[in-house]
Amino acid sequence: MTLDEIDRKILFEIEKGIPLTPEPFQAIADFIGITQQEVTSRIAKLQESGIIRRFGVSIKPRMVGLSANALIAWKVPENRLNEVGNLLSTFKEVTHCYARKTVPEKWAYNLYTVLHARERETIEKLVKNFSDAIAVNDYVILFSTREFKKTSTTTTMLTNQTSRESPENYQGSQGKL
Amino acid sequence: MDSQDFTGNHKLNPNTPTLEKTITLNETDRKLIEILQEDFPLVEKPWKEISGKLRLSENEVISRLKQLHEAGIIQKIGPVIDGRKIGLAAATLVAMKVPKNKVDFVVRIINEYNSVSHNYEREHEYNIWFTITASNTEQLTNILEEIKQKTGIEQDDILNLPTTNRFKINVRLQLT
Repeated sequence: MTLDEIDRKILFEIEKGIPLTPEPFQAIADFIGITQQEVTSRIAKLQESGIIRRFGVSIKPRMVGLSANALIAWKVPENRLNEVGNLLSTFKEVTHCYARKTVPEKWAYNLYTVLHARERETIEKLVKNFSDAIAVNDYVILFSTREFKKTSTTTTMLTNQTSRESPENYQGSQGKL
Repeated sequence: MDSQDFTGNHKLNPNTPTLEKTITLNETDRKLIEILQEDFPLVEKPWKEISGKLRLSENEVISRLKQLHEAGIIQKIGPVIDGRKIGLAAATLVAMKVPKNKVDFVVRIINEYNSVSHNYEREHEYNIWFTITASNTEQLTNILEEIKQKTGIEQDDILNLPTTNRFKINVRLQLT
């Protein structure tokens, strides 16, 4: 799916969060100068195509009592990476699960999961359980002590003419997020 | 010590008991947030539709959401966009060993970049962990190179860990 100017305008507006007024989509439609039906049907299409991964509320984990946050780096045999990545993703407590390149001779961890919980002990217990479930004993728990930044980087792409109109960039052939 | 940092994010001192700053959600708040983590009604009056699932009026839903937003519990209600599909094809996680007395300086430089979405201090020899997303690998490398130069952190103290596969991303949080 290719984004046109109206899709971009809609995404740019809703990215900030829809207004807490009785008819939020009407407000966005008025602002852009299209009908409310067009706004909602385009959002639906953007969801179907996967450009919008999820539409809903974003909350701050720490503010709802989930004050322990950790990134766990796992060292998984290369031939088991997909199997283990898929398995870890099935646990509801895991919010993110990514494979990453290693740094030869410095850093051999290749799979990463993010966990949120009320207490550190909960995270430690969960990680032990995961470790047993995937039969991987080599890992490091990286508890976060301060959050310096947590935002989205997509807004710049919606307004930046040069990068978004370059077709080779657009196809994203360089790699995966 | 609490303070606003340069990005406007609330800065937590690790020694401060965090419980003081967390707000206890009541059962209705929890249900409301859970409903809002699911499929959002793309209709003329979404709050009214949601209010029907709870024993609340449309106005009560709106005012509760405003309160939760003001309290900082709700960041926003809107889309989570897949960066890859709008041209952000390359991403990496960077870890740095930063001396304690340089952390503020280094973080200020890193956070200036719009391409940096997450930045955390973690309990490890590599104590600063941040993510960069860009249109391509070359752009990614350039940004990291710039950060390296501006912060004066040596290559030896940096891990660049580009994403090779995403198994699961940013799904809903368990509130119960």
